[in-house]
Amino acid sequence: MALVPVVGIETIPAWLCWLFPMIGAFLTPLLAKINPKARDYGAVLFSFLAALMTIMLIPLIFNVEELPKWEILPWIELEGFPVLSKIEFGILVDPLSIIMANVVAVISFLIMVYSLGYMKGESGLTRYWFFMNFFIGNMLLLVMSENFVQTLFGWEGVGLCSYALIGFWYRDAKEDYLKCWVGEPPEAYPPSHCGMKAFITTRIGDISLLIGIVIIVAFTGTLSYMELIEKVEHLPHEFMWILVPAAILLFGGPIGKSAQLPLMEWLPDAMAGPTTVSALIHAATMVKAGVYLVGRVFPIMYVASKFYPEMISFFYVVAWIGVITAFVAGTQAMTSNEIKKVLAYSTVSQLGYMMLALGVAGTTVEFFLGYTAGVFHLMSHAIFKAALFLTAGAVIHAVESRFLHHMGGIKKEMPITFWSMTLTAFSLMGVPVLFSGFWSKDLVLESTLLAGQPIMFTLAAITAAITAFYSVRMLSLTFLGKKSEHIHELEHEGHHIHEAPKVMWVPYFILAVATLAFGIGGITLLPFGGIGGWLEHTFESYLSKLPGMEHSFALLETEVTVPKDMAVLITIGTSLTVLAIGAFIAYKIYVQRAIDPVKLIGSKGILKSLWNFLFRRWYINAFFYKVFVDSTISFSKWALKYIELGGIDKFNYVLANAIKGFSNRFRRTHTGFLNYNIIGMITGFILLLIIVYMVMV
Amino acid sequence: MILEDKSFMLFQAIIIPAVFSVVALVLGKRLREKTGLLSTIVLLYSTALIGYVQLKLFLEPGLEAIEASYLWLPDIGGISLGSFTLRADGLSIPIALVIAILCTLISIYSIKYMEHEHALGQYFALYLLYASGMIGTVLVTNLAAFFLFFELMLIPSWALIGVWGTGMKERIAFKYFMFTEAGALSLLAGIVATGFIAKTFEIFKVSQGMIGIDLGIQIAIVVAILLGLFVKMAIFPLHTWLPDAHAEAPTPISALLSPAMIGIGGYASIRIIYTGFPDVVKAQTPQFMLILSVLALITMTYGGYMALAQDDIKRLLAFSSISQMGYMLFGIASVSTIGLVGAVLLYVSHGLGKAILFLVSGVLIHEFKTRSIKELGGLAPKMPYTAIATLIGFLGLMGFPYIIGFWAELYIFTGAMYTALQGFGHIIEPNSIRVLITALAIVASILTASYGLWTVRRVFYGQPTEKTSHAKEGSMMMIIPIMILAALSLILGVYPGLMASSVSRYISELLGSIS
Repeated sequence: MALVPVVGIETIPAWLCWLFPMIGAFLTPLLAKINPKARDYGAVLFSFLAALMTIMLIPLIFNVEELPKWEILPWIELEGFPVLSKIEFGILVDPLSIIMANVVAVISFLIMVYSLGYMKGESGLTRYWFFMNFFIGNMLLLVMSENFVQTLFGWEGVGLCSYALIGFWYRDAKEDYLKCWVGEPPEAYPPSHCGMKAFITTRIGDISLLIGIVIIVAFTGTLSYMELIEKVEHLPHEFMWILVPAAILLFGGPIGKSAQLPLMEWLPDAMAGPTTVSALIHAATMVKAGVYLVGRVFPIMYVASKFYPEMISFFYVVAWIGVITAFVAGTQAMTSNEIKKVLAYSTVSQLGYMMLALGVAGTTVEFFLGYTAGVFHLMSHAIFKAALFLTAGAVIHAVESRFLHHMGGIKKEMPITFWSMTLTAFSLMGVPVLFSGFWSKDLVLESTLLAGQPIMFTLAAITAAITAFYSVRMLSLTFLGKKSEHIHELEHEGHHIHEAPKVMWVPYFILAVATLAFGIGGITLLPFGGIGGWLEHTFESYLSKLPGMEHSFALLETEVTVPKDMAVLITIGTSLTVLAIGAFIAYKIYVQRAIDPVKLIGSKGILKSLWNFLFRRWYINAFFYKVFVDSTISFSKWALKYIELGGIDKFNYVLANAIKGFSNRFRRTHTGFLNYNIIGMITGFILLLIIVYMVMV
Repeated sequence: MILEDKSFMLFQAIIIPAVFSVVALVLGKRLREKTGLLSTIVLLYSTALIGYVQLKLFLEPGLEAIEASYLWLPDIGGISLGSFTLRADGLSIPIALVIAILCTLISIYSIKYMEHEHALGQYFALYLLYASGMIGTVLVTNLAAFFLFFELMLIPSWALIGVWGTGMKERIAFKYFMFTEAGALSLLAGIVATGFIAKTFEIFKVSQGMIGIDLGIQIAIVVAILLGLFVKMAIFPLHTWLPDAHAEAPTPISALLSPAMIGIGGYASIRIIYTGFPDVVKAQTPQFMLILSVLALITMTYGGYMALAQDDIKRLLAFSSISQMGYMLFGIASVSTIGLVGAVLLYVSHGLGKAILFLVSGVLIHEFKTRSIKELGGLAPKMPYTAIATLIGFLGLMGFPYIIGFWAELYIFTGAMYTALQGFGHIIEPNSIRVLITALAIVASILTASYGLWTVRRVFYGQPTEKTSHAKEGSMMMIIPIMILAALSLILGVYPGLMASSVSRYISELLGSIS
């Protein structure tokens, strides 16, 4: 079918949903002049409007036949350009963008409400609300955008907000060590360092993304996703190979943004920001932008792989990076001593799952299975991880420390928080039937198995066991057991632990209920096969009518290794087994406390070095600092000393001094004595005469 | 369509500052600090004229240029020296406009910054002369007159550094003078050779005169001209005057030297090489423009590394300027419409961004009397406007969307990549070396992000130091010009068409005529 942009009344919310928060951001400084209350509630109101707008888009998803709807406005038109002569400003409404926009806007609104309580009394709130709303606006712009340039606006915009909000407490005060630093020596960093680290690391990914985009634009002549889908089958086949490096470089952007290996190290340190920021930006939404972009370019690359089979290596890169990241980050989460850092590693790990699903999807004929798995896991993870962070924030507020060993035994004091965290942690672990995490993770595993990737499947399954382990560990260290010394001290000072205020617990309670609702809705025995089955159906019917997708299935053949019914059973069996193993070990150690982990590890031996290895983040962080940061700075210092000052500039002075020296020597002949002058004159005159004589003769 | 400038707008824009320079000199003793006001008004008038011309070009797509031609020198020995021609077209007018805007705003800034200095009459007299020289260099299209204006830029700026500078100012000013003058002599040699071979000094007639001339000779001339311009642009390894001069000049002059003046070298490269020597652009053996790309890559990388190693904030900005000139040269060497438009936009973005940053460094120097980054810190809560402006300035250099710098870099890199993959006309073939160089150039921009964000962090975040514990926001006379520049770069960032549309029209025609 041919794709034509449309203008319609039902897409107006798609424009307004990102415009409202943008307006709200720029109104924040003005409202702050009136009244701090007006500023706070105004900011929340604009995020509410954004959520309202995205909810109004939901009905469209039930009419898949009419999607995609997209509208474009002229933006920049430059004459005489072979490519890029027209850059348009557009919105694209399709199932992916509707789902993502709703995830972003609704969770954002809940977190904005939570912020009212969490950020109470902080200074610099105008800045906070500005960047929060600016973030929501940019994120929705990124989701709705119809071409790469517009995506880059949103993409970099959210990066800036992430930088500014991680470094919200940029004063880096030593007194705030327990509140807003991150890590323990030798890897303890203050907030402003973490913000900068996040921006520069993601920027490295963005550089790669930019190279990819530039190649694609120069090669195909268009930026628009819809035009690319149409164009890709008509590209000259002998030059198609350039799309492979372009696509892999393009994936560099998602690697940075979604914190995949090797650029994952910024995300754990991004926990230096306020917990609301961690929940919104570094768990639920911004870090999903990378996954979203892969989903966005998926049909383009998939069609390309039909015509140029080497293209499939792009999907393998995505899948392998995803699954390895999932495993590595999961193991790191097992040893962390900070509640938010455990969750951050876990986020990286879960993002790896999503990448894995999208990657394997591209290698099979039944691509919609993996595609659905990726998107479904994105949704369910956004919900439960946001809730986990918000509950963690409530605990950190209560105990005034980010360390797990400063918590413990507060289940009675904070029952709502405890139950919310338990439910959402169960979802993260993938406890069966009632929790959304179970269904979405299952789908990821199933699609991996069906794609004929046993090694990836095994790694993903091991990661699931690890997930269960660190979830139980975190839950137990936070709420169960005896109260820590730190809490006793606090109580001694007259500060008693109590439940979070309503404005804080209502948002995460809603999210906890939502994860249950999605879990019950996800039961595959329901009509349509539950939420997963319905999503699969939607994506199948939407994607397969895109140009190039419609008639090209026959071109790609993969052998089916496992029959589908078998695969479902194997997956469920495996996931239940690994869950039981991981949870049981953690239960023995951390809930029953039958084994003391400190004694188990001991002070040396293989377990201790393994623990060190994991605690120091596989030494990846240290390696990057040594190889990229320190060596760059010392190289620049070296070059300044020996090339700039000692080489080029010195040469200038040598030249200048040589001329000066020469003229100084020559000056000695100019003595100023009359006798010498006359002798000189006579000599010169005689020489002249000789020359004239010789020339004449 | 070329319109004749009947109301002497272009001529006025150049000559009025020069005339008032004399007035400022004569009345300076009596007017004292009001001289600054006088110079601001004069420059505002020039800005208005140039702004009007830009608006006219923007609104009338059919209008190619506005020209004013005056009788100047008689023909000597059969060589027509040409007339004194001023030309405002898509290439020259955005650059002239940026220069005029910067001169005006920095003149306001100077009033406050220089308030305790001596001999303000002379300062503003030289300042106006300098402004006149820069605007003239950009608008004039006769190579002989171009050289005169080129020197007119040099002399006042030399005096400004030598008299009102800091540190070893006389020595530094001398170094600056000698470097630029040596370059200027090479430029002069190139211009004279052009004149003798092409029998004209008019840039637009040179290409006709060069038909049939041996490529080797043409390349030799271009190299001579480029040597002169590259010293101005501070392309590696001719850059060593720049960090010294920028660091020791009085800050308002640094803020003109760096963003406004050095980029003129890039502008002149486009104008002279692309208009006058199309054969060199097309050259296959050696691939002249490819060599320039490599030079540009080295310059941007080297400048970035050097900036990382600096503690003196003005030296850091100076090295950053060198790096940015590398980007501009990269766009120039891309041989594509997109890349050249990017180069012009880079001039605009660097002009606005670097002016913001130098002016900010001036605020810091004015408040804390130090240029060492180590002695600064924790300023964000006390100087919010300065902090925001600095962030905008650095983000612009990094190529952050919402700021004009993004478009500059996007166009430069897309242009270079397009030439690399698709070639240019039937003249330049697709070339995988170009692909690699372009990719490396994009990678080099990570250095910009590193030194920019690191500087922001060291100056504005963290705990206040001994010097900054009693900091307060700078005077509004200094903050407002900075804010106007920041607003301009944001407006152009969201809608770059305001500048880019007339540029692209001109450049596409220029390159169309080459291929």
